Amino acid sequence: MEWEQFELNPRIIAAVKKANFRSSKEILCVSGPDLQRLTRLSKTDVLRLHCAVAAAVRKTSPVTALQLIRGECPVLEPGHRLSLACPVLDGLMRGGLPLRGITELAGESAAGKTQFCLQLCLSVQYPEENGGLNSGAVYICTEDSFPIKRLRQLITQQSRLRPDLPPALIHSRRLTDSVYIEHASDLEALQACVSQRVPVLLKRGLVRLVVVDSVAALFRSEFQADEAVQRSRHLLAFSSTLHRLSHAYGAPVVCVNQVTDVMDGPNPGRCDYGLVGSKVLPALGIAWANQVMVRLMLTRVAGQVKSDCRSCAPRKLEVVFAPHLPRASCLCGVWEEGVRGIPDDALHDE
Amino acid sequence: MHRTVPSLPLAPSVKVKLINAGFQVASDLIDMRPLQLCKEAGISQEEAVEVLQMLRDDAQPHQQRAATESLTALDLLHHEQTLGSIVTFCSGLDNALGGGVPVGKTTEICGAPGVGKTQLCIQLAVDVQIPVCFGGLGGKALYVDTEGSFLVQRVSDMAEAAVQHCTLLAEDTEQKQALEELTVEKILSNLFLVRCHDYVELLAEVYLLPDFLSEHPEVRLIVIDSIAFPFRHDFEDLSQRTRLLNGLAQQLIQLATQHSLAVVLTNQMTTRVSNGQSKLVPALGESWGHAATQRLILHWEGLRRLASLYKSPSQMEATIQYQITVQGFRDAPDEPRLASSSGNYSKRPRMEDLS
Repeated sequence: MEWEQFELNPRIIAAVKKANFRSSKEILCVSGPDLQRLTRLSKTDVLRLHCAVAAAVRKTSPVTALQLIRGECPVLEPGHRLSLACPVLDGLMRGGLPLRGITELAGESAAGKTQFCLQLCLSVQYPEENGGLNSGAVYICTEDSFPIKRLRQLITQQSRLRPDLPPALIHSRRLTDSVYIEHASDLEALQACVSQRVPVLLKRGLVRLVVVDSVAALFRSEFQADEAVQRSRHLLAFSSTLHRLSHAYGAPVVCVNQVTDVMDGPNPGRCDYGLVGSKVLPALGIAWANQVMVRLMLTRVAGQVKSDCRSCAPRKLEVVFAPHLPRASCLCGVWEEGVRGIPDDALHDE
Repeated sequence: MHRTVPSLPLAPSVKVKLINAGFQVASDLIDMRPLQLCKEAGISQEEAVEVLQMLRDDAQPHQQRAATESLTALDLLHHEQTLGSIVTFCSGLDNALGGGVPVGKTTEICGAPGVGKTQLCIQLAVDVQIPVCFGGLGGKALYVDTEGSFLVQRVSDMAEAAVQHCTLLAEDTEQKQALEELTVEKILSNLFLVRCHDYVELLAEVYLLPDFLSEHPEVRLIVIDSIAFPFRHDFEDLSQRTRLLNGLAQQLIQLATQHSLAVVLTNQMTTRVSNGQSKLVPALGESWGHAATQRLILHWEGLRRLASLYKSPSQMEATIQYQITVQGFRDAPDEPRLASSSGNYSKRPRMEDLS
């Protein structure tokens, strides 16, 4: 550590060196009185030392919200979102997924979670003015093998899903080439993947979307019921890696989660997020929920929706919580070309 | 700052060198950096640093002096009354807290994800700016975001709603005048944001707060959302965590009293299993429970969002209902639902009398 870079009295620097401090972190983690004792400096000197070290650690000084909203600090507030490739779904999400933070998509099996993720992997590849991030996606599979056939099908149907884009733009992109697929069959492999390979892809600018499908599979299978403490520690380590990556590169992280059945009535030990009527809750408990910024839930709904003489089972996409969204939901259908929300007025027509 | 160099309390040899180098008054020196000064005046680096420190100390009046005077309880009461509190726009919560979130104290808000902690914090950061003639504080706010959940879109929603709210209230000319200055832009420009990515950055930020506060003396609210997030990651050594958290709490209380501002911290919830039963408790352990002066727990009960005042030196324990709307943190609507749909209504006829 080069202590000389700090604008401090050489006397203070000498004392710091003598006390064997090696990093700014060590200085900041020692309280004032302790630092006084260790370095034998006066109270004011210690105060100056703390301030100088803190100033060096701080990356950005406070900015006003006005600067943020005007887009003067793209590092803190990029101003745009990753589009879900459907105006109705984007409307529900106020423009799409926020670029920083973990977005969770929970739902029963066959609710359409993977369909959403695949659609995002394609949407991210378009330029920013078309709701994308002009980069690829990394897709980490932990449950099944990657549904490559379905991805191909989505790509051939892109012009049908995105009539808003010029066909030339869609054809000019080699969409399959920018989806990087990782398989992780155990926790160790998953941790290695997110801490070693994914950062490389992000750093090179090859991808700007990380999809984990799903987090629940490994964390639920590898731990017994009585290993809750260990499980939550692993979960925290995993989520903090994702969190850091998301913030460092402005890359949205989408995690698919399973759900658990609610067997008993209200339970003070369980947080139900106000989902009273629901028979299922997102899996992995509160330890994971604390790490999630936006929680979405997909559920299958009885009935049928129609579009162009085709019909499918409707799904409900619900915002369970998000710092910038009200609790709301919309119906959507999964079609050949992808997932599309159903506008409210279309429902009333039937 | 028009003090001449010869009148400064410095060693004569240093003064001579400074004057020879062309420095006449103190203001010539104040913007210099130590290395620059050391070159230009031909003094040692150590001397240069001392000259500059002396000048800076001279420029700032000593604030700590007041703390050593002894005060009577009556003085304290008067002082506390003049500080006021930050309204929340939810009258139920304001009443429970005795007028709002108190200035000069620390308040901790705990709650499960999605229950409305960040919403309440943003609401406070907007409400602290309500002009004095509307019963507000007319202050500024500093928001320390550790989770990355501060989205400016949401702030502008709430700021807009707050401006509208005041427009409806404006009656006399003073209020109308104040209203002209109260715009969404103004509110956003008085809200400072810092993002901290780990606990080291958070600790650094807190060491720098005194400087920030003397630059911006109008700041009446500091929000740290959340304190738990950085301290629950990568911490193996729990005793060190406790020590750091205690130190942090101490610093924050000091800031709150010295600079007369409200400090609001948010905390996550965690599951604790005891006697085979699990329940949700605030995170960061038992000793952290002593850190904040007031503790407010937000929780769900069925479809309702409730806020419970759990610890407070001055207010009764209370539980109130609130809701989160597009406009922000608000009173829950009067509940016809509760009275009509509740199945055991007939067993509790007194409900009606109460409401």
